[in-house]
Amino acid sequence: MKITRRSARAEVPSMAMGDIAFNLLIFFVILARAQDDSHLQWTPAEAKNLQNATNSVVSVLIDSDSKLYLNGQQLGISQLAGRVESLLEGAPSGERPVLLKIHNEALAQRFEPVIEAISEAGGELVHIVEEDRD
Amino acid sequence: MRIARTTKLLVEPPSSATGDIAFNLIVFFLVCASVQPDRGRLQVLPTSETADEKQQQTENIEVQLTRTAVLVNGDAVPLARFPAQIKAALAAKKTPSEKVVIVKSRPDTPYHHWIRVTATIEDAGGIITLQLEEEREVIVP
Repeated sequence: MKITRRSARAEVPSMAMGDIAFNLLIFFVILARAQDDSHLQWTPAEAKNLQNATNSVVSVLIDSDSKLYLNGQQLGISQLAGRVESLLEGAPSGERPVLLKIHNEALAQRFEPVIEAISEAGGELVHIVEEDRD
Repeated sequence: MRIARTTKLLVEPPSSATGDIAFNLIVFFLVCASVQPDRGRLQVLPTSETADEKQQQTENIEVQLTRTAVLVNGDAVPLARFPAQIKAALAAKKTPSEKVVIVKSRPDTPYHHWIRVTATIEDAGGIITLQLEEEREVIVP
């Protein structure tokens, strides 16, 4: 007697697809957050006559603890000019914006050398502030 | 003849779509959170120069900033009167080099005060230039 072999169909359970997509999304969100500065603590100052900031590859931030960050990574003032210059390398004049986010209570002794370093590197400063409604 | 009525009260929604719904909701909120553009002020600073090259700076307006006050050419000016005063002072200046305003800040000047004053100067037609104290290394014998 010949016994016929049963063929079993193996299927990927489609129920788990949503969970896989969700976990992938979380992974990429965390990866993106490590490169930006949205997780840093700072309060923007207020000013009048603001304009929409253009997209920039360079973002410099001084947080509420007066720590300096370049694209979300902490660094020292002596490294800033060189790093900004290398990030802006090859960009023509008028297309070298540097977003500058400074905590409103930061002191001049901290932020003025930062402004000077960005200027030295050929960056075009865009102070990120909030609209003054007074 | 009597027909029996069929009642199906409990109808469950298909649970296989909940994952996709959750995914689409997350994407929606992520997009909502990321489309808010940053707003700010563009500030163009002239290239730096050393103290020896600044003969004509004596004719430029000098604004000194302390923690809470503003001094224009050494005279204290109330903050409320500063916009009108700087506008009047810059109205007399014709060339871009004359419109350069030297901003000197005390080390304890907070950023919110600094940005408000420099924005007022720029709105009045002035060109900001910062005067920073240079660090000098002194070797003690």
